Amino acid sequence: MAEQSFKKGVILGLGQDQHGRKGLKMKRVIRLRVNGEEREVLTESHRTLLEVLREDLGLTGTKRGCDLGACGACTVLIDGKPALSCLTLAVRVQGKEITTIEGLAPEGQLHPLQKSFVEKGAVQCGFCTPGMILTAKAFLDEHPHPAEPEVKKAISGNLCRCTGYVKIVEAILAVAGK
Amino acid sequence: MGLPKFEYLEPKSLKEATKALLSTSRAVLLAGGTDLLVNMKHRVVDPDLVIDLKAISKLDDISFGKEGLRIGACTSLHDLASFPAVREFYPALSQAAEEVGAYSHQVMGTLGGNLCQGNRCRFYNQSVFWRSVRPICYKAGGKICHVVRKPGECHSTYCGDLAPVLIAMEARIALIGPEGERIVPLRKLYTGNGKSPLSLKRGEILKEVMVPPPTGKTIYLKWRLREAIEFPTVGLALSLQLDGKERVKKARIVFTAVEPAPVEAREAEKALQGNPLAQIPTDKIGAQAAKEISPMRTSTVSPAYKRKMAGILLKEAIETIG
Repeated sequence: MAEQSFKKGVILGLGQDQHGRKGLKMKRVIRLRVNGEEREVLTESHRTLLEVLREDLGLTGTKRGCDLGACGACTVLIDGKPALSCLTLAVRVQGKEITTIEGLAPEGQLHPLQKSFVEKGAVQCGFCTPGMILTAKAFLDEHPHPAEPEVKKAISGNLCRCTGYVKIVEAILAVAGK
Repeated sequence: MGLPKFEYLEPKSLKEATKALLSTSRAVLLAGGTDLLVNMKHRVVDPDLVIDLKAISKLDDISFGKEGLRIGACTSLHDLASFPAVREFYPALSQAAEEVGAYSHQVMGTLGGNLCQGNRCRFYNQSVFWRSVRPICYKAGGKICHVVRKPGECHSTYCGDLAPVLIAMEARIALIGPEGERIVPLRKLYTGNGKSPLSLKRGEILKEVMVPPPTGKTIYLKWRLREAIEFPTVGLALSLQLDGKERVKKARIVFTAVEPAPVEAREAEKALQGNPLAQIPTDKIGAQAAKEISPMRTSTVSPAYKRKMAGILLKEAIETIG
């Protein structure tokens, strides 16, 4: 019985939060297109894309860093453009093409940028790497032959606390040259 | 800390959005989210309704014609900066948009959101944990301002990069509200009151920004602690119109990040007028402009430093234009 009324609340959106605010739609089904696959998630409006990707879809390649949009570790591509998933509501990106680091290359293969990062030693602890690579991908799609200062500017929103920037810039430029 | 819970709405028209905005006193508008969601995570903004503007058509249109530039409020900063006519005829606007945050912030952030961003203060833009050692500040709903230690005052600072440039270019804005549309100069959007920095009436939404055809030269200089992400420590937009003899016919000097609203240095503007461009007494005018702003200790740098940098920026700007 308890379970039944819970379900009813969910479906009708008659939830109530911890402050007793009624009428909040507690859960809703959203459809996300992630890495070319349609995924359905039962979630709440206040959850960020980062939370949904990591906790509901198990795509933990997208990292949670500052959670405030200052470090770039959570960068994903939305319709090919870089977006901070920690500052994106999951409900608002329905119908858009979301690409995470897991979807950058087909299973078992590496994207040229990933290869270049490995070859140039641009991966140290690896925490910033998914965000770096996705930002670099979006940037190179827009500017196929950038100069070094442009690359530096493009990744300026992605922090690497191992401070391996020199090799990261080298890795991106190596792909751009090809 | 995650986001607080709220009701989410995606209206299809501005009329619908206005209606929703009037339905509760704690509704907020969501454009890019790069400012709003951070404030929500910090619990300084705690809405019961979030109205997403992204589904409203034509709000991200941008066009250039005889009457100048028209930019929809939801145009992303990235699209604005890379729009060919903006790059060609309004380079300062394109440059200012490219100096906001970093790449992803520019893709997400919108012009309207940037203009209507919340004022900032070192006691306000902090986590719940950081703020918990002091009583809640006046702006966040408490009684006392920690900057001046007085009740009923808020000195939070407006830190937008695009407002000073657009004000210097004499841009106007179209606002849609329950009583229809009104058009006002952009500078009138800002009240100068840190607690409620925008003059939007209840239910009003910024729809469009209109910039007149380019006249003269405009430049934006942003001084900040590092070259990326950071808000300005001091920002300056300088616009100069010259007459046929290379003398300054009209000048606009607008500072950002120094007061609760973008501020114009009117006396320094007057002092610039009539000077031949090559012989402007830059030191004197820089010093005059520095006197006209009243920064408070709302960030990590001192008001004296901001004042000094304001003068230096103006001097640099005049020399760069000349």
